[in-house]
Order: sequence, then structure tokens, then C-alpha cells
Amino acid sequence: MTQTLTKGFSRAGVEALSQLKGEPAWMLEKRLAAWEIYEQAPAPLGRRGDLGILQRVARYKYDALTPYVANGAHANGHAAAQVWESGLLVQQNSSVVARELDPALAAKGVILTDMDTAVREQSELVQQYFMTGVTPNANKYAALHAAFWSGGLFLYIPRGVVVDRPVLARYLINQPNVSSFPHTLLIAEQGSQVIYIEETGSTLPEGTTALFDGVAEIFAKDNAHIQFNSVQDFGPGIWNVTTKHGVPEKDGYIHWIVADLGADTTLANLGTTMAGSGSNGDIVGVFFATGSQFIQINTLSDHAALSTSAQTLFKGVVDDRARVDFEGLIKVGHGAQQTNSYLSAHGLLLSDNARAELIPSLEIAANDVRASHGATTGQVDAEQLFYLMCRGIPENEARRLIVQGFFEPILDKIPSDELRARLRRSIVRKLAKEGQRIADETEWHDITDHWDIEGAGAEAVAILGGDE
Amino acid sequence: MEKQIPNQTAELVIRNLHAKVEGKEILKGVDLIVRQGETHALMGPNGSGKSTLANVIMGHPKYEVTAGEILFKGMNVLELSADKRARLGLFLAFQYPASVPGVSVANFLRRALESVREGYDPTAPAQPTGQMDKRKGVPPAEFRKLLQDKMQILKVDRSFINRYINEGFSGGEKKRAEILQMAVLQPQMAVLDETDSGLDIDALKIVSDGVNALTGPGLGILIITHYPRILSYIKPEQVHVMYQGRIIRDGGPDLALELEQKGYEWLTGTPDQDVEVKV
Repeated sequence: MTQTLTKGFSRAGVEALSQLKGEPAWMLEKRLAAWEIYEQAPAPLGRRGDLGILQRVARYKYDALTPYVANGAHANGHAAAQVWESGLLVQQNSSVVARELDPALAAKGVILTDMDTAVREQSELVQQYFMTGVTPNANKYAALHAAFWSGGLFLYIPRGVVVDRPVLARYLINQPNVSSFPHTLLIAEQGSQVIYIEETGSTLPEGTTALFDGVAEIFAKDNAHIQFNSVQDFGPGIWNVTTKHGVPEKDGYIHWIVADLGADTTLANLGTTMAGSGSNGDIVGVFFATGSQFIQINTLSDHAALSTSAQTLFKGVVDDRARVDFEGLIKVGHGAQQTNSYLSAHGLLLSDNARAELIPSLEIAANDVRASHGATTGQVDAEQLFYLMCRGIPENEARRLIVQGFFEPILDKIPSDELRARLRRSIVRKLAKEGQRIADETEWHDITDHWDIEGAGAEAVAILGGDE
Repeated sequence: MEKQIPNQTAELVIRNLHAKVEGKEILKGVDLIVRQGETHALMGPNGSGKSTLANVIMGHPKYEVTAGEILFKGMNVLELSADKRARLGLFLAFQYPASVPGVSVANFLRRALESVREGYDPTAPAQPTGQMDKRKGVPPAEFRKLLQDKMQILKVDRSFINRYINEGFSGGEKKRAEILQMAVLQPQMAVLDETDSGLDIDALKIVSDGVNALTGPGLGILIITHYPRILSYIKPEQVHVMYQGRIIRDGGPDLALELEQKGYEWLTGTPDQDVEVKV
């Protein structure tokens, strides 16, 4: 049998995919229902209409894509699990090619599998949760995903189980004109804890493109803690559309750490619905757009219960002809008294042709609420630049220091040392343009690591009142 | 254009310097020579152009030089960007140093030291792309030792150097940080722009001691100050008075004493209400 569907998206394609996967009827029904929504829904164009980044997403040549491709006989392109992981899943194009879980965790009832397997083996859980955190109505691309999803990760943490080492998922694209639709379903039962890291990457022949359309649904039950890390580092040619939504219940906590660095065009929807009282949803976000990259980020802090809190912090740099649009919304429902919510977004422009629009907004229907937001966009400060240059540091390097310094406070808020180091490397790499000094990976280390100057402490205490 | 080659005499020569900012002429023909090993004081009432001169010496892009020249080591530094001037051996201690969030003092200083040690050689061929890695790094151990020594002289708390550059520093901390940088970078010509302003008497003494510890035959200093107070701690050989964009009087240490007693009005002919001369 052929394991590759014909080009383009259609109802027949949905049926063929479901049949190819040997899925139960209920999943085919969900797919077809989503397909109907996809066909009816207009492509979102946002407030900028024809001029915006969303237009570039809408105009993408979806008809030229193959909805599903089979992988070759052997899985390659992934590294073996490192010691710090407790679980690993690797997807290439349409399907999962590798999966591992620490047996000790499996013994405790932790389930880590690909979604296709979960449909067969965990059908009750999948039926209960699938496309409920992100509904097919969320946006046209979520509907397309729900109709054509393939692969992805199912992670279930039983009550009270603490997964202390991260679970890592890698999504790779290496074929032109494919569409990759991994679905992530993460369920953390009462009092459980898990750290999840997702990385994306691609290698495509120059001048070719492919689509990544991923959905992640995250459920934190009472008092469960989920830390969801995502590093989007696709190469050129990728149209990257993601919809991620978390739902923490009573005293649950979902902590998102997201970085958008790569891809041609990105539309990232990210939100948390604080569904249970005392629940919390924080986002730390970083973006860096260069060349002709377009990135649109939409965030939502949706307060739907009593006494919930959320903090969304985004920072990013835009260079060359790149564009970033950020729209962040704090939404406080009628019953969501004692909400505490904060949203900030800061952009640094490195070129006259770079554009960034960062727009925070509030929708508040309760009256006992603390909510605030702020957004700024600016260029490298001339006085800072002059100051560093006055100490002998050449302009290019001084700019780089300032950019790294701009990112540093937000990187400081990333809990994982490994991830922070990885992001620094990516940022340094993006800063090292042709004709400039090639920055090596230790460089940021130099700039940011805390130094221990032996012996200068005790006897050198400042004697000026109020100085320290 | 003929390539200039720096000579070894670290002499700062300013001739007939005119400069404007935002279309307004501030410097109207400044002449000044500071030789290596000498300490000069540049005094004058507010608005006379002292800080403009400091910024022009260092090459602040906001100021436009319309006439005259600045030579250092025999080179016309007006053609050089600020980093090259610094690598030639010029230093400016800022009156209002910029803060640079996210960049720690220690790592900034190490970077700066590496750059300054590399120096500036206009005759060197342009660096091929990606070849600047050849820069001689300063070994961490050596840097720590150097920093530690200088921090002790300036009585700087160790926590200081892990903080972001000038971010949240008090006025006194900023001034000490400037002198700490000067101590680490060891320039041959330093301009101290109102380093005494905003310091209480204890801080002034620490900063002055720090500067005095650095003075010697290898360093020329131009202290810019509004008040004669700092000159009781740092003794200049020459004193210059600036007014309305020109130097209107040159003299020895006695001139500072005279100003302390008589105020600037004595020279400028107009009452300067900003000036409160303290003994």
C-alpha cells in the first residue's frame, strides 16, 4: 500500500488518511467535523487585513502540499537520548520515528507514546481530551490540523507522580512540500509535575518550502505543575503555524517558555485558560527575527475562575527586513474576581527596515481585578553604544553586547540551564552576520556568567552610606 | 589620504576647535595641550562648553566639529570612531555614564581590556572576515587579579562587578565605576568629566585617591570640574578656565585658589548664580 497521500487537502484526503492509519470511527468523525470547519472558516487576516503577516500565512500554497508522507525504513536525524532526559520522542515529517521512556517512570504509570498509538491504546483519554483545549473553532489552521493531524506526543502523568527530568520531543522536517501536523496532548493528573521540552528544526533544499501546523493541548489537574518549553528553530522555507493552549485547574500551574527563532513565517497562538480557582499561567517568550522572517505571536491569559494569576513577558529583536507583530490579551471573565494579571512585550529594532508592532490589550468583566500591561519598541540606544565604544569595543561588538544584554533579563527567567544555554547559542549565532566576527558558543558565557573574584570581598566593603 | 601613524608621545593637542550640537555652536575656538604625565584642570561655569569638549575629544556622534583639530599621539583623532580613540589610549570618565542592562561590569570590562590591549594600528591590513578571533584574550585569572587589585584601591564591593553596567548604581557608585574602568584599562590620556559632582566628601576622597594612585609619568589627566573642591585632593599643574566656548585664562595651581576665593564672575564679568564656591 502506498503510504503517501496525494497532493492537496480535501475531504477525501481526510478519509484516506484515517483509513491508512486504521483509525476507529470516532476519530474519523472528529477529523471530518474539523474539515467542515476548515472549509467554512475564513482565513484570519487580523487588524491589518491584506498588509499583515496573517495574509502571508493565508496565501501560502496549501494545494501544493502533501498531507502525509511515510518515512524511510530507518529513522535518522535524531540524537540518542541524553542523560538528563526522562523521555524522548522524535518525529520526522509526518510520523514518529523514535520514542523512549525511563522504565522507572513507566512503572509508575507514566505514559509516553505517539498520538497515533494513543488513539488505539488510550482511546478513553484521547476521546475525552482531544481538541478540547484547542477546539477546531480556534482558528482555521487549528481546524486543518484537527482534520489532518499525524504523529505527535501523548504524555500522561498519573496522580502525584513527579517527573524530575525533562521529557524531550523533537520535530524535524526534511522534505519539501510536506505538511507536518504533530499533535501534543499532555495530561498531568492531580498533584503531579512534569517538565516538557519541544524543539523543532528543519533541513530543506534551498528554495523549497514545507508547512508545520502543530497543536498542543495541556491539562494541569488540581495542584499539578507543567513547565512547557518550546524552541522553534526551523530553517528557511518553513511556514510555521502553531496553536497551543493550557488549562490549569484548581491551584494548577502551567509555565510556558517559548522561543521563536527560525522559520520563514510564523503564526504562534499561545494561551492559558485559568479554569480552576487559584490556578496560574505564566509565559516567558523570546523572539528573534532576521532577514525576511515574519513572526506573528498572539497570546491569551484567559481568567475564568476565582483568584487566578498570570504573567506574560515577551522580549525580542527584529533585524533586517523582518517583521514581528505581537498581540497579547488579558481576558477576565465575570466570575474571575481577585484576578492578578500582567503582560509586557518589548521589542528591539536593529535595522531601519525592521518592523515590530506590539499590542497589549485588556478585556475585563469582573471588578476586583489587578491587571496591567506595557509594551515598548525601540532601537539600540545611542548613548549605550557610545559608552561601550568609548571603552575600546568596536561598534559591531558593542551592538551585540547591547542585544545580548537586552535578552539577558528574560533568559534569566528560564528555569532550565540547558535551555538557557541553548537559546544563548542560537541568539549569538543569529547575531553573527556575514562579514562580522563569528561568535563562538562560549562567548555569551563570558558575557553573562557570574564571576567570583576571590579575596575582594571582606576588606573591600563599601564605606559609602546608602551606596549598596 | 596619507595614512597616519601614531607616535609614542601621548600628547593631546587641541587647536582652534569649533563644534556644534543640534545646530548650535558650543565650542568657539578651543586651544589646549595636555602632555603625558601632566594633570590639568579645566574649570568654568555651567554651560561654558566643558562637557561638550569632553564628548568631542572622545568622538560623540551627536557633536559636529566644524573647524580645528584634535591630535593625539600625532594623529588626527577626529577621523577615528570612539572605539579607535580608546584603543589609542584616550579615556573619558563620564559625568552621566549610560547604564547597559543585562551586561555585567566584569565581562564588559574584560571585553574592553582585550580591545584596548589590542590597540589601534592604522597601518595594519583590514581584518579578513571572521579573523578577529585571533584577538589576544585576557586570561581569566590575570583579569581577576587585576580587577581585584583595582577594586581594593577604589574600595569597591565585590558584588559590584556582577551587576549590570551602571544599572541602579547610586551617583557615587557610578563615579567609582568610571575610575575603576580607568584603572583597569590604563589609558595614557584621561578626561574626567565632572567626576566630583554628586559625591559626598568621603566618596570624593576615595575617587581622588583612586585617581592619584593612577597618576604618574605614563598618564595625562584633564579634570573637568565646576567646583574647585576636588582640586584640594588632586593637584593640577595647570588650570584653564573656559567660558562661552573658549579658554579665557590659563594658569598654575594658584588660579584655582583664586577662583575659589573670587568665583567665576571675576573672570567672566557676569554674575554666575549657579556657582557656589566652597572652601
